[in-house]
Amino acid sequence: MLAPPWGGAREMIGLVFDLYLVVLTVAAFTLAGWFLGPRPKHEGDAEVPYETGLRPFSPPGLGLAAQYWRFAVLFVAFDVDLALLLPWALNRPFLDLNLMVSVTVFVGLVAFMLLYFWRKGALECR
Amino acid sequence: MRDILAFFSAPSLWPQLTLGSGILCCLAAGMARGLEAATSRVLGTAALIVALWMLLFTKLGAAGPLVTLDSLGLAWQILFYAGSLPVFLSLEADDEVPAALLLGAGLGMGLMAAGGSLLMLFVGLELASLPSYLLVAKLRSPSAPPFEAAVKYFFAGALASCLFALGMALHYAASGSLALSSAPGPMGQAGLALMGAAALFKLGAVPFHFWLPDVYESCAPALAGFLSTSVKSAAVFLLMRLASIGMGSAMAASLPWIGAVTALYGALLALRQERLQRLLAYSSVSHAGIIVLGVGAWAAQGCDRAAAAPIFFYGLVYLFMSNGAFFFVKASGLTKRGEVGGYARMCPVPAALFATLLLSLAGIPPSGGFLAKLFIFWEAVKAGLYLPVAGAALAALIGLGYYLGLIRDMYFDEPVWRRPSWEPGAVRWVLWACATAAAALGVLPWVFSSVLERIFS
Repeated sequence: MLAPPWGGAREMIGLVFDLYLVVLTVAAFTLAGWFLGPRPKHEGDAEVPYETGLRPFSPPGLGLAAQYWRFAVLFVAFDVDLALLLPWALNRPFLDLNLMVSVTVFVGLVAFMLLYFWRKGALECR
Repeated sequence: MRDILAFFSAPSLWPQLTLGSGILCCLAAGMARGLEAATSRVLGTAALIVALWMLLFTKLGAAGPLVTLDSLGLAWQILFYAGSLPVFLSLEADDEVPAALLLGAGLGMGLMAAGGSLLMLFVGLELASLPSYLLVAKLRSPSAPPFEAAVKYFFAGALASCLFALGMALHYAASGSLALSSAPGPMGQAGLALMGAAALFKLGAVPFHFWLPDVYESCAPALAGFLSTSVKSAAVFLLMRLASIGMGSAMAASLPWIGAVTALYGALLALRQERLQRLLAYSSVSHAGIIVLGVGAWAAQGCDRAAAAPIFFYGLVYLFMSNGAFFFVKASGLTKRGEVGGYARMCPVPAALFATLLLSLAGIPPSGGFLAKLFIFWEAVKAGLYLPVAGAALAALIGLGYYLGLIRDMYFDEPVWRRPSWEPGAVRWVLWACATAAAALGVLPWVFSSVLERIFS
């Protein structure tokens, strides 16, 4: 039933299974809220978010400043960089001077990039 | 583990290290908040020239599991770095960021050239592509919507990277390693096909060319010259590496046909273009098709390293022709085909330079472009690919329509453009150098043959 049309490539079955599972999972997560959630019936003002009785000032939804995006990007970039230190830390007892120099150069480059962003004002809030 | 420091001190990687240091120096100049743009421009040009000079001393061989430099990688690094030089010479920027981005792209291409593993090819591909997306947004042509083309390029390029990563995954699943060796079975073929599709994406070959005209039209002409020469050469190099991994595969067998269709498509659409930069973009697609035909012929004949010389020669001549054509567009200020009329009467010398470049692009005999096309077609006929060669030859014939049409408009029409401009400075020298080289390579190819022999043997 699940035999691929190009005969005989049995290792492709895993790939086909993977594709089915991915599509199923994504569809399930997307539609779960609609199926499983409550069907509220609101009256009057009940759907407006509660703001101590006053009307809400900012629109609903994502009212975040675009500046937060910059910090998020910087965080992700530096986080991935520093995540590369984890294998080094785990293997420390078995390493030699060669590798210490290499990782010092690596951390030096990351520090250089931090200094660059600092001087360019990317770390300013507002 | 022990050879990570060897990675940095390997003679195979000195040009790349030079470029890396160049990036650091440009960024340091940017921190100083003085003459950032001028300093970084000088530093960038110096880094590229030193990197080119160091290519004379690079040793071939392996330096660790990820780096293997062979004659092909050495030769293509010349194309990468020399193609980035003209942009530096005419860079107009507010800060050091475009210079650093260009050096970053050059470093990525250099890493790809020195790559001995699929992982290194991927890292190099990404490092070469991401700065290009940003550069298209930063260095814009004055008359086009700014971010639309950059976003299009980003999405197309990101898709290409996804295809490459998926191809790598399938290759690993089929063969158990990411080394540059063939992977058996249909899964290996599928992986190779996906990676080849990614390379064709970057090249602008026909099913995947849709981003190219918008990007080349909306960015500054000098940057379009860089994209069409260096980035294309990088994609060609990637395609050649993939073809040499899978020699008898379906991907390698389909390359001549893709090349012929691309050449025809680019030529046919360029006939209808009104704006000069877009016309040059479609002509760039057409030339990419002929290079892909050359790679297909090379793959069909066994991927012998010494036999890659025709493709390298085409890349070299195309470097001069394409950069020269785009620099002419920048220097003269012409944007539309209708404005070209009578240009020769108003500015005879620039018109003559552009005419030389157009003759070379068209492939008319005394120029370098003719010899380049001749060598590629010769190789393809030797490999027995008669129908793709006929298609590509037809495309070259159609190309005469717009190349010779531009020359006719320049020389025989009434003057249209009221205020011709002829920008002084570095742009003019670059244009002269490119036009001279494009003409000279047709008449004196044996000047380069000794260099080519030394590289390819």
